[in-house]
Amino acid sequence: MGDLNTQMLDKYRNNFLREVEEKVDDGDWVKMCMQCGVCAGSCTFGPDWEHTPQKIFMMIRAGKREEVLTSHSMWLCTSCYNCMVRCPRKLPITHIMHGLASYAHRLGLAPKNQPTRDFSMIFWENCTKTGRVNELKMTISVYFREGFVSGIKKMWTLRNIGRGLFFAKRLNPLELFVSHGCKDKDGLRRALKKADEIEARRRGYAVQPRGYSS
Amino acid sequence: MADMKTAAYICKGCGIGERVDTAQMAKIATKEGKMHLVREHDFLCSAAGVQLIRDDIDKEGVTHAVIAACSRRAKTEAFYFPSAAVARANIREGVIWARPDTAEARETTQEMADDYLRMGCGELKKMKLPGGNPDTGHAKRLLVVGGGVSGLTAALEASKTGYQVVLVEKSGSLGGWAATLHKRMPVREPYADPQDSGMNELIAAVKGDRNIKVHTNAVIAKTDGAPGRFKVDISVESGSSVTEEVGAIVQATGFTTYDIAKLPELGGGKSANVIDQATLERLAADGAAKGQPIRRPGDGGEVNTVVFVQCAGQRDESGKHLAYCSGFCCGASVKQAMYFKDANPAINTVVIYDDLRMPGNGEDFYRSAQRKGVIFTKGKVTSVEAQGQGCEVKFRDLILDEDATIAGADLVVLATGQVPNSGVNIDIPEEEVAKMEVKPVSILNLTYRQGKDLPQLTQGFTDSHFICFPYETRRTGIYSAGPVRRPMDVAQATEDAAGATLKAIQAMENAGLGRAAHPRSGDLSYPIVQLDGCTQCKRCTVECPFGAIDEDEKRYPVFNESRCRRCGTCMGACPVRVISFENYSCDTVGAQIKAVDVPDEFSEKPRILVLACENDAYPAIDMAGMQKNCYSAFVRVIPVRCLGSVNTIWITDALNAGYDGIMMLGCKHGDDYQCHFVKGSELASVRMSKVDDTLKQLSLEAERVISHEVAITDIARVPQLINDYAAKINEIGMSPLKGFA
Amino acid sequence: MTEVVATNQTILVVGGGISGMTAALEAAECGKQVVLVEKSPTLGGRTALLYRYFPKLCHPICGLEINLRRIKANRNIRVLTLAEVSAISGKRGDYSATVKIAPRYVNENCTACGDCAGAVAAEVPNPYNYGLDKMKAAYLPHAMAYPQRYVLDASVIGTADADKAKAACKYGAIDLEMREETITIKAGAVIWATGWQPYDAAKIQPYGYDRFANVITSLEFERLADPHGPTGGKILRPSDGKEAKNIAFIQCAGSRDENHLRHCSRICCMASLKQTQYVKEAWGEAAKSTVYYIDIRAIDRFEDFYQKVQRDPSVSFLKSKVAKVTQDKSGDVILHGVDTEGYHRYANAHDMAVLAIGMQPSVAGVDIPAEIVADSSGFIESSAAESGFFGAGCATNALDVNRAVQSSTAAALRAIQVINKVARAEA
Repeated sequence: MGDLNTQMLDKYRNNFLREVEEKVDDGDWVKMCMQCGVCAGSCTFGPDWEHTPQKIFMMIRAGKREEVLTSHSMWLCTSCYNCMVRCPRKLPITHIMHGLASYAHRLGLAPKNQPTRDFSMIFWENCTKTGRVNELKMTISVYFREGFVSGIKKMWTLRNIGRGLFFAKRLNPLELFVSHGCKDKDGLRRALKKADEIEARRRGYAVQPRGYSS
Repeated sequence: MADMKTAAYICKGCGIGERVDTAQMAKIATKEGKMHLVREHDFLCSAAGVQLIRDDIDKEGVTHAVIAACSRRAKTEAFYFPSAAVARANIREGVIWARPDTAEARETTQEMADDYLRMGCGELKKMKLPGGNPDTGHAKRLLVVGGGVSGLTAALEASKTGYQVVLVEKSGSLGGWAATLHKRMPVREPYADPQDSGMNELIAAVKGDRNIKVHTNAVIAKTDGAPGRFKVDISVESGSSVTEEVGAIVQATGFTTYDIAKLPELGGGKSANVIDQATLERLAADGAAKGQPIRRPGDGGEVNTVVFVQCAGQRDESGKHLAYCSGFCCGASVKQAMYFKDANPAINTVVIYDDLRMPGNGEDFYRSAQRKGVIFTKGKVTSVEAQGQGCEVKFRDLILDEDATIAGADLVVLATGQVPNSGVNIDIPEEEVAKMEVKPVSILNLTYRQGKDLPQLTQGFTDSHFICFPYETRRTGIYSAGPVRRPMDVAQATEDAAGATLKAIQAMENAGLGRAAHPRSGDLSYPIVQLDGCTQCKRCTVECPFGAIDEDEKRYPVFNESRCRRCGTCMGACPVRVISFENYSCDTVGAQIKAVDVPDEFSEKPRILVLACENDAYPAIDMAGMQKNCYSAFVRVIPVRCLGSVNTIWITDALNAGYDGIMMLGCKHGDDYQCHFVKGSELASVRMSKVDDTLKQLSLEAERVISHEVAITDIARVPQLINDYAAKINEIGMSPLKGFA
Repeated sequence: MTEVVATNQTILVVGGGISGMTAALEAAECGKQVVLVEKSPTLGGRTALLYRYFPKLCHPICGLEINLRRIKANRNIRVLTLAEVSAISGKRGDYSATVKIAPRYVNENCTACGDCAGAVAAEVPNPYNYGLDKMKAAYLPHAMAYPQRYVLDASVIGTADADKAKAACKYGAIDLEMREETITIKAGAVIWATGWQPYDAAKIQPYGYDRFANVITSLEFERLADPHGPTGGKILRPSDGKEAKNIAFIQCAGSRDENHLRHCSRICCMASLKQTQYVKEAWGEAAKSTVYYIDIRAIDRFEDFYQKVQRDPSVSFLKSKVAKVTQDKSGDVILHGVDTEGYHRYANAHDMAVLAIGMQPSVAGVDIPAEIVADSSGFIESSAAESGFFGAGCATNALDVNRAVQSSTAAALRAIQVINKVARAEA
């Protein structure tokens, strides 16, 4: 979707903060950050962040569009909400992180092969197809995401768990061939389409189904 | 006093009766103390005990009473006899509580008690009941200097309290800086938006107040006199002069903005689009008057990006600019950024700060600005350069830890801070003033011997040095208010003006009654000088911390009692001992020193005189007693008003009387001095350094006289100091001067 | 029965801390009649429990000594302790306040000799040391207490201890029959100098004040440094009495935080800067202080002090709101967070952590007369134009001592304006 990215670049020029405020879920909170850093220290994934939330907010204000949208950091958020409950300014940091990730994804700027992003896409595709998650198919898609050999390796490592699940009747190999879905699949698709339309209208995008990588 | 009738009351309560022989004390009071009346009582502070004393005063004609009981700090309500001179001998905290209750300590403890009673009797006979300063003035008008928000508020508050006011304003109109503000910071919830300054209403209220007489285009040519009787010559525009009689003065002369041209690295004076906060206020006010947005001053162009540079020329450690923070500028920049955001949210406003200082509800105002889209960046600006029609701002972004640039800033506002208008710095010697390019102009033109203006505390501010007492002034009856006292915003200046007005009113009321001002508030004693003995040495006039003493043409001291704060520094300074207070004099202390029974040199009982500041060292010793922190029985403690009041005659007297050592316990001096009379303890240490010569003449060791800085919290340290010193005296041996007195 | 002569030319001052004492004294020294009502057994308030003041590092009780001397010397002030205003009616120039006086069980015969304390066995937590130690149930609040009169803690009334105290007193000062009394005081104007209280540190969960002994508040730290305090002025940590030399100061503990106090409490930055100097004073070269902050608010002339502390090699500064505190088995506290200048994650061990606890008005959550206009934090904002109520000191805002005194002096003037008007009307 390079198009959308160019459109947005054009529209907001140097004002990345405004772009975030208008396009990102809860983006209008970014300006309220007072740079105390409690979110950065509170994050359970802390040591792995390249840019802490507070820093991302500062980068947004400083207009570092490219760096922010291509960052891995917001994809690390596990929604533990530690940062949010501690934020002295009550910023919905978790939501902003997800909003930024989603926006970066939409613009096609999110890092390639970002595991969280890949997983999310696989999950979405899997569950929206029939209205239910097909665990077997999903597991296989995730395992084989990085190629055949690495997929086999992963399966081998976790073989005992698979066996356990099978005997506990939590894993049905037949599901590989026959996915059972929800009752009104068309209804679900219509609902999703409607949701897409609503969001696109709110954010000013051209309507496009999401979940499919460019 | 021909009809002096003395009485001694010895309390046996709180264990005194068990620990010491009060019958023996009673005998001493009669025989040695020559008291006309001596009574012992089991519980002197009880209603019955107090009634006994009261009856003696009323019926027996007792005029002077020594109360040998607890410390002078205790039971003050009970032992309150305004019609008699009262001395307190501290037998409880100062003797029995400060001594171990052992058989071997009994003898020395008794000696201590006996001595304190002797001292009390000695002091009492030299005391007079203070009558109050007779040289009072009864002017009840207030002079307010400065017609800005502080001065106008002071004038109005005084008028509301029922006092007349003379207001002097140097410029042609009232209102000062505050009147030039487009808007002011909010003072009410929700603290979200700039609000009207209210200055038009304030100015109108002052102009319409019949109690307030306003002189504009006027300066003060001369201020003469003292609280209750200031005579002020005011030069008015026509060139003529008016003399006003006033009782007290509030100096609200405000500030000048720090000169932006001194900040060329920030573009000050180099680009028309780099302005200070005051200029932005004018641009905003002008724009609002015309119904137009704020435009670039350089070319009238549209403003799309504004950068606020905080701490410009402030918090400077290089010595080039202001070392302090002006406190109000963070809030002011936030407010000014809102001028733009409120008019047009698309205008980009960036505040570059190091520490954002918006205390209290300022936090709400800060939040409101963020909500409006003002960008806050923690950074240090390194340069502002003209670039095209605007400016380029370079700074170190401290959060992102990198150098950054804002190009195309249409307007750069420097938060330059306040420089107080405090007149002449009287502490700068005249030779140095002569070398100055710009000669300072006095504001008050005081005729005081010690200089024309209020003494400055630091950086030109005429603030009080005392945290508990912001209106402590070194020129009684003259109070500074507003940014001349310390940097502040409008809200604070308004409050400050009310506070200073109260103190000014209080000063004139008390001056009229012959009473002292803070910290010895209400004291009716005052310095009395016997000029026939005076040698015109000028020490008193130089050393008075409050500029209370002038000199006449023959260089004799002229005491202005209403300016005096009763510290006794003059008394301590006087080499010929012609200055005294009715209840505190060279004689009252001298008599105590002489009253002590000094054992001979073979007794192994040295005597150590302790002269202790009554506000800090003495309470510390007292509280040491309350905690039963024992100390040597060889000390005899005399509280003094201030170490500055210690006259060297007391030292000489004590040494001649055979005392083995003298300890002077006063407050900390130096930059963070804690002396309540500014430099009493410092003066004492200077004077005492000269005592060494005396000691040499007497062939005495230098350690015979020592001094310590003591704090009121030193309840464990003071007993230790005393004990260490007693050990020291033991080491160097008894004074060879015993028995010659 | 306590008799108080008061008329509508009397000023009633509520609160006997430094603000109330100042307001009362300034008015009384202008010749006005003042009744000063304090709910605890002594005047002095919170400043009496501070070791030193910033920036001079002088001692608060030095100023207290002067103020007490002023009070002792001034017959215009009537002091009521253990007294609380429970209701107030009337209007500007003519108020009637109902004041409840709790029993002290010790009457004015008390000489403060201390025999009762010697006789009583029971101990109660010492509120004057913020509960860091215990005191006898018959006590003088502290060495500077005024009135200098003992108090018998209500918990021993009806026990053998109370009888022992009574028996020990030679002066008939113990009165076990004392009951709460209610009196009415007339006043023309009322100054509310009800002061502040520390924010409840336990509510700041990530800092573990309720779980870790070595996380203390800045007020408790004052007591540890004070020679009058529970450790005699030695800085020892509560868990094991170890000398605490490496101390963390956590700024904005409760303040500038919408989850706790919305406002900035103004004093805490300076207070922590001051307290780093206590550490230095106590341990010299071995002292180590770390200040974790968002913005250092060393406002106006206080900047000098900040610069001085910055030059002190024993003190370091870290721009970071601490995220979490833990305590390890040795008793050390570990602070977790991120230095926001640049990006440096830390997990720093300290002997003890001091929370620079926020200020909230004492009346927060307490019924105050409707005539008082308070903001949403409970600070007295102003009174309506026709009111004779005036806020003073920290009841009106988070203020340092100097500003609180300034505010109280101004409040005294406004009260006098009312009184003078009444006097003129009656003349």
